[in-house]
Amino acid sequence: MAASYIPPFDDPGEVREGFLCPLCLKDLQSFYQLRSHYEEEHSSEDKDVKGQLRNLVQKAKKAKNKLLKREDDRNDGLPQERYESYSYGGVDPYMWEPQELGAVRSHLSDFKRHRAARIDHYVVEVNKLIIRLEKLTSFDRTNTDSAKIRAIEKSVVPWVNDQDVPFCPDCGSKFTIRNRRHHCRLCGSIMCKKCMELVSLPFASKLTTASKEVLASHTSPNCSPNSVHGSRRGSISSVSSVSSVLDEKDDDRIRCCRHCKDTLLKREQQIDEKEYTPDILKLYEKLRLYMEKVDQKAPEYIKMAESLNAGETAYSLEHANDLRMEVQKMYELIDALSKKILTLGLNEESQPHPKTLQLQRMIRYSATLFVQEKLLGLMSLPTKDQYEELKEKKKREMDRKLQMERQATFESHRKLEERHTDFVSRSWAASNGEVSQPKRVEVKKAEGWLPTASISRQQECADPLLQQIDNITSFIEQAKKANRLDEVRMLQENLRQLQDEYDQQEMEKAIELSKRQAEVEEMQREQFQILCEKEWEREHQKKVSQHSRTRSLDFREMKLSKVEIAPDSLNQIAHALDLDTTQSQSNPGCKASSPSGRGQLPADESPVFPVQPPGAQELNRVSEQNKNAALNPFEEEAGISTLRKPDNLFAKDFSPVPSLPTKALNRGLKEYNPFDEEEDSQPANGVAISAPNPFEEDVGNSLQMAVSNQESGNSFKSSSPSTNPFEVDDDDNNEVLNEDIIEEELLLQQIDNIKAYIFDAKHSGRMDEVEVLTENLKELKRTLAKQKEKSSC
Amino acid sequence: MNVVLAVKQYIAKTIEESGPGMKVLLMDKETTSIVSMVYTQSEILQKEVYLFERIDSANRENMKHLKAICFLRPTKENVEHLIQELRRPKYSIYFIYFSNVISKSDIKSLAEADEQEVVAEVQEFYGDFIAVNPHVFSLNILGCCQGHSWDPAQLSRATQGLTALLLSLKKCPMIRYQLSSDSAKRLGECVKQVITKEYELFDFRRTEVPPLLLLLDRSDDAITPLLNQWTYQAMVHELLGINNNRIDLSRVPGISKDLREVVLSAENDEFYANNMYLNFAEIGSNIKNLMEDFQRRKPKEQQKLESIADMKAFVENYPQFKKMSGTVSKHVTVVGELSRLVSERNLLEVSEVEQELACQNDHSSALQNVRRLLQNPKVTELDAVRLVMLYALHYERHSSNSLPILMADLKNRGVSERHRKLVSAVIEYGGKRVRGSDLFSPKDAVAITKQFLKGLKGVENVYTQHQPLLHETLDQLIKGKLKDNLYPYLGPSTLRDRPQDIIVFIIGGATYEEALTVYNLNRTTPGVRIVLGGTIIHNTKSFLEEVSAAGFRGRGTESSQAAVRAASRR
Repeated sequence: MAASYIPPFDDPGEVREGFLCPLCLKDLQSFYQLRSHYEEEHSSEDKDVKGQLRNLVQKAKKAKNKLLKREDDRNDGLPQERYESYSYGGVDPYMWEPQELGAVRSHLSDFKRHRAARIDHYVVEVNKLIIRLEKLTSFDRTNTDSAKIRAIEKSVVPWVNDQDVPFCPDCGSKFTIRNRRHHCRLCGSIMCKKCMELVSLPFASKLTTASKEVLASHTSPNCSPNSVHGSRRGSISSVSSVSSVLDEKDDDRIRCCRHCKDTLLKREQQIDEKEYTPDILKLYEKLRLYMEKVDQKAPEYIKMAESLNAGETAYSLEHANDLRMEVQKMYELIDALSKKILTLGLNEESQPHPKTLQLQRMIRYSATLFVQEKLLGLMSLPTKDQYEELKEKKKREMDRKLQMERQATFESHRKLEERHTDFVSRSWAASNGEVSQPKRVEVKKAEGWLPTASISRQQECADPLLQQIDNITSFIEQAKKANRLDEVRMLQENLRQLQDEYDQQEMEKAIELSKRQAEVEEMQREQFQILCEKEWEREHQKKVSQHSRTRSLDFREMKLSKVEIAPDSLNQIAHALDLDTTQSQSNPGCKASSPSGRGQLPADESPVFPVQPPGAQELNRVSEQNKNAALNPFEEEAGISTLRKPDNLFAKDFSPVPSLPTKALNRGLKEYNPFDEEEDSQPANGVAISAPNPFEEDVGNSLQMAVSNQESGNSFKSSSPSTNPFEVDDDDNNEVLNEDIIEEELLLQQIDNIKAYIFDAKHSGRMDEVEVLTENLKELKRTLAKQKEKSSC
Repeated sequence: MNVVLAVKQYIAKTIEESGPGMKVLLMDKETTSIVSMVYTQSEILQKEVYLFERIDSANRENMKHLKAICFLRPTKENVEHLIQELRRPKYSIYFIYFSNVISKSDIKSLAEADEQEVVAEVQEFYGDFIAVNPHVFSLNILGCCQGHSWDPAQLSRATQGLTALLLSLKKCPMIRYQLSSDSAKRLGECVKQVITKEYELFDFRRTEVPPLLLLLDRSDDAITPLLNQWTYQAMVHELLGINNNRIDLSRVPGISKDLREVVLSAENDEFYANNMYLNFAEIGSNIKNLMEDFQRRKPKEQQKLESIADMKAFVENYPQFKKMSGTVSKHVTVVGELSRLVSERNLLEVSEVEQELACQNDHSSALQNVRRLLQNPKVTELDAVRLVMLYALHYERHSSNSLPILMADLKNRGVSERHRKLVSAVIEYGGKRVRGSDLFSPKDAVAITKQFLKGLKGVENVYTQHQPLLHETLDQLIKGKLKDNLYPYLGPSTLRDRPQDIIVFIIGGATYEEALTVYNLNRTTPGVRIVLGGTIIHNTKSFLEEVSAAGFRGRGTESSQAAVRAASRR
């Protein structure tokens, strides 16, 4: 059981994270995939959602843009391809995009116009009848003598003259003495006895009072259930309140013709229907009410239940249980109601109309469907104990996930640092060739140095290395738990490296301390260190040269002829030239560098400028080799000494913060630009162009560094004399001075570095560091001067 | 361009407009089938429509607590029924929708009948056709023509159906028709007339390329409806008959009660939607998978029901489970019946010869095969007749035409006279004299080489070699190569670009084979959407009825008599 509790990252049961499509919850690897997925799959769906997503996406974009840049390049095209491969170019008719509703045309206004004309006529007729009826019934018929009644009746409506109607208009029978004429009291027309209808008094009063009621209630606009028509109905009754105060008597029925009776009956029916709501309607209304409630509550509950079942604590179990009970109760009610509807009227003696039964059956059926569909989807809740368990599990899971995440960030972090170190090395190297500087600024913009933030966080801690080590140890433990052996291995390696690094750093700290105590000793130490480094460098360069020789073929094969690469490789060239010359500093080295040096400038100054083919080729080849050379040492370095700070090699005694040099460089760069232009006219640039000698270039660079660090005066003076001896020496004794020259080279580099650190330290206001550093710098310069003296004699 | 969706949206809109409350749907005979093609009962029940009534049914009770939605064709009878209904309304309130253009005078008489003011809505919703598939519609008219010209009543119905389709899809098309067919021209003119008359209705947003309405005549391709089919939908229609998505299985031996009539609707039957265009063999294996899936699920559920969690899982899956079990038994029954019929009627062999007759030009081998099959007692009368018909159509003018021998064979076999007469009737209906295009021999060099190469390669599937003529016609139309002299435009303007939205209408009925062709064209041609329509969707049986209803009953004198008889029947 325990084993099954460790799900993979994307266990569907978990809270899912990452680039999930909000609609189908598909996990897409990157933001861009998600977007294209969304646009393809869900573009037809609700625009609001889409808008929301866009919004969200734009926010996310701002935040994550930098980080995702790389991933995106790799994965962008995929969903598109998938979609393409699915269809054959055309579209399955089932997939045709949704269409709007077809054409429609309304005849309602026409209809209403015709109806209104008709209704007016009808309404007037009905109203007339009802007014007359009221008049006829408004006096006490039984106590009035018949002559008087007749007089009143005749006054209500003029009777048709007997002579005008020889036959009954309805049945056509001839009027005789036996077959007497009868007058309709409502319209005054004549018919025979057979065709005569009678209106009883209760019926009459029902009609007249109902009309009054309508009138009374007519003040409120919602009087009739069919509110659409309500207002018109009212017009029938609006005239009916006329009351006569006549006081006469007759029998309790009123004679009228068939036509008038029909109209009255229709009217009665309307009145009846208006007041009558059948049971089924009441029940049905309740049923719908509960259905609506369920529709509201069920999703709410499901959300709760899902969250609870996942062991989250967003909702309380009791509350969910209550809600569950509530929803279940509603289902029961729906079931009961629909059953009641089904059996409605079945027990009465007169069976309801088959259509009514059918209606009842259908309502029951649809209620059953509703319950089936919704109730069965209602998931159960965990019991209290289970919930506790779940919570526990979730917590564990979350912890692990958090750690995993941390590990992931750490790894990406580390990768970035690798890139960083790479970058630093490159940029540092590039600082030797001023031409590549603008490019570097671009690089910075594009790649965005995101990890600085996280690094600065670490800075806060007493010793970031220690912290890192701790982290990694915990990661290893987790990874072991999760049976991720490869990761364990990787992490262990990391740990080892970090520990090495730490030891080294500790050592260096101690060294620094001792340095401060005894200056003389320190001098020696410095010497020693330099020697050590020199040794190492020499050894290393041997390797590198081998590497570049063996590897150069490979590089040519994957030959990046793209122009974008050129500046990059130029950086490397610059760096490599540096190495090259330090390595052999012989004439061939100079020769090799001279064409490339020339090619470098136009290429960078104006990218449109056509590069000379042979030169360019040469350049490329050189750059290939050098790239190799440039990259390899640092990779190995990283492997050997530290993952994070290759610059430590030269300035280990300072700054555990890896971002510092970059910052310094970058800041320096920004401030360079004016200087650059100035320098263009000054020796440095001139040297680079006219004298391809790498050392001069180097000096020019250190010059720039110095300038940027606002110590231009010193460094210029201190370093510029150094160039001359070299030039001289170059021609004379290559071999003898080899060592010294390398030393000088290293010294110069270190001076540059330290200057950069000083600048940074100044910038961030750490004056104590500045002091220490300036001291170091002075010493270095002194050493350098000594070296020069040596070499010159 | 989705015709199913077009109708569905109309119906949904009518229900929506009537608001909440119990409702009854009042329809006539035709609108009942129109609605039933796009909505299932349970689907429409969820919208509170509980009763479905025919306007002409007398047995309707007063139910004032119901709202009535009337979806009716604007026929005289319907208007009359409606007037009666409004005089004595049975329901509380009426929402009236006509499926086509209704005259002002009808509106007036309806308005005057509505003395109780129960009508809340009067509109025209142009769902006046049977939506079969998203790209196929029918008008369910059997016997639209007398001889080679329209039955006037059916002409007006076809015009209404087509204009309603155009309105529902919001297309105001250019019209092309098949020159060899008078009826196509007549229909085109009628449609054009309506468009001109109701120009306000047809005033849609202009598209870059105007849609195209292509009018064809069945008589140009009498072969296609005579062939046995092997894709699921077409085969079911050919062997069992699909009537408004319903299949009558009552003649199937040993059928259970609830499967007497089944519904095959791609809208709610996923298996059918996925398999309707696949051929019989593929369906066999798919149905096997479906069965296995079902069986695997079934016992698993039963086994697992030991724990409460399992029960819960089962209950959660229950609706799908139930639905699936229904699907399984339905398709198993249908496919089982199909395969029974195939073996009983020796259809594989028959179909092979049919395809040979339709696609190849080897007279002697064809004749030999037909004669051989005519001797086979397993071959049904219908299949025997159809073989002879195919032969007669293909080798009508062949120098060594041996139709008399075949007719004698039929007679010897005891084939009824009615059927034998149909052979000559079919030739009269779709023979060479009538046809505008060449059905059998390819016209241009490209087509000839294509056929030659095809012959060399051999055919992948002998039973599905045949491509309906419609395929070539549409292919040329899409490529802009359809000849103007054979398929002229109605009116002066012509289409400059290649058409994008195409509506094809076949007078005398389309077939499911053609539906498949159009489906494939839609799928393979980017940017083109084709909708196929017909006066009806034919299988061989209904096609032969169509032919005989058109009055072709054999030769000469007989046919004139038949026309008289047909007229008197009407």
